Amino acid sequence: MNWWPHVVSLEFRKILVFRTEFWVTFLGQSLVQLVIARSLWTAIFEQQNVSEINGFTLPMLTLYYVIVPIGSRILTGENLGFLSREIYEGTFTRYLLYPLSWFQYKTLTYFTYSLFYAFQLMIFFVGYKFYLNGGMSLFEFGNLFLGIGLFLISSLTYLLISMAVELLSLWADNIWSLMVMLRFFSNFLGGALIPLAFFPKEAQVILSYTPFPNLISLPARTMMGLTSGQEIFQGLLVIGFWAVILALIVNLLWQRGQKKYTGVGI
Amino acid sequence: MIKVTGLRKTFTSHKKEPGLMGSVKALVKREAVLKEALKSVNLEIQQGEIVGLIGANGAGKTTLVKILAGIVHPTSGDATVLGFRPWERDNNYRKQMCLIMGQKNQVWWDLPALDSFLLLKEIYQIDDARYKYNLAFLAETLMVQDQLKTQVRKLSLGERMKIELMAALLHDPKVIFLDEPTIGLDISAQKAVRNFMKTYQREKRPITILTSHYMEDIKELCPRIVIIKEGSFVYDGSLSDVQKMLGDEKVLSVTTEEKTFKVHVPRAELSVKTQEILSSNNVIDLNIQDPSIEDIIESIMRFGVGHS
Repeated sequence: MNWWPHVVSLEFRKILVFRTEFWVTFLGQSLVQLVIARSLWTAIFEQQNVSEINGFTLPMLTLYYVIVPIGSRILTGENLGFLSREIYEGTFTRYLLYPLSWFQYKTLTYFTYSLFYAFQLMIFFVGYKFYLNGGMSLFEFGNLFLGIGLFLISSLTYLLISMAVELLSLWADNIWSLMVMLRFFSNFLGGALIPLAFFPKEAQVILSYTPFPNLISLPARTMMGLTSGQEIFQGLLVIGFWAVILALIVNLLWQRGQKKYTGVGI
Repeated sequence: MIKVTGLRKTFTSHKKEPGLMGSVKALVKREAVLKEALKSVNLEIQQGEIVGLIGANGAGKTTLVKILAGIVHPTSGDATVLGFRPWERDNNYRKQMCLIMGQKNQVWWDLPALDSFLLLKEIYQIDDARYKYNLAFLAETLMVQDQLKTQVRKLSLGERMKIELMAALLHDPKVIFLDEPTIGLDISAQKAVRNFMKTYQREKRPITILTSHYMEDIKELCPRIVIIKEGSFVYDGSLSDVQKMLGDEKVLSVTTEEKTFKVHVPRAELSVKTQEILSSNNVIDLNIQDPSIEDIIESIMRFGVGHS
């Protein structure tokens, strides 16, 4: 697989090629999201005149919102429509012509973006910790790397969820709304919009059997030092189980769907 | 070699009535339309041959190329290229073929061509010496040495086409599918691409299938042509034989005060027909010529071989 590092390198070069886009993605987006979340939660804490809501203090919630917007970008890797748009436009043809597996190629390109966002999360997390506490303990560094690792593992599971939806474009030309719905639900059920601790207890139990909480909430709380080893192990088991199911679904969809591919536009 | 036997391909599309009501109705009920893009075609091409595939838009040329390149599955029938079934996408087949599309980019748009070439080198497992030799040969023959470090999107259309050719040929493919390689190019760029393909074909002897709407491409590159009409082959033979098919005909190009038109006339009736036209029209200009290849092919595409 000599081409693997070249694909990763090529995708990194694509990320770096547009300076403005790079800095807006790297700094702008996350700072804006952080400021909005911080302002909103400050107002809620002041209005309710409490120091803690559902186990979260304001600094903890702020840290949570440093992590989750970038964390959800680690999950979603390459852009929305990374497969369906190419199938729709016919550029997917490229991967059918080259002597390689399109699945491996798209996984690598997707994962390259996840790595880029993982690096971004590290910078923001360390920066925030230094701003807040003036430094970080070894234990906190350990949590940081464990959380980043969990995000990266989760991104591969989310990739399979995305593929299962995006491959539907081999049957229905335009599935944009499905992908937007998927992103919204995975963010909502994964705890990217509000922490899962704010959900009703029954909902939290049901959700724990789905991949979603383990995709965002589990890695984010691990970075904050709020999870136990057992909780992490259970989370990995759940996403591992779903990854196997999803891989089977993706394989089935591809086996059937490729016969429908017409390479439109060429 | 390429061997195609009874190859068929049908596509399903959906009809929609025009207008807003048509769009609303289509949300609930759509009429499926089955289109037979290829109707049981047979073809054999030997190593080193270059074959021109000619036909009107929608005749089935690109469908055939897509099947032989392994992008599309056929509905029925069989095809082998170098002993492989293309749609099974065996890596050993894909390493020996390429598809060049005049209207689609395969190299990475936002990066310099050399970046894409380096990735292709690894994908096709081209050894260093062969990569260096091919890169130098292709860049020199296509005269794009100075464009290799520029972002592809910033190149002109002609330069981009040359880069596409380079990317597709770096691995010395034994089978080349060229789909409209000169579309949209200016005359000098068209000529450069044609000259390059001639040199390449002479030196490397691949099997080449070329589809093009430009007769110049066909005339200069393809000793053999296949004319395809509504999914069926209506002619498969040498280009020179096509010219003989209308050997006993002349073409009268007539310009009257109202219009300009062409008439195919058997030699024996030339004098009678000319007088007839001159007496019944306000003729400004009249020209008597042998039919051009374009005329003959157009005639075959419209009426078939028997009527031409």
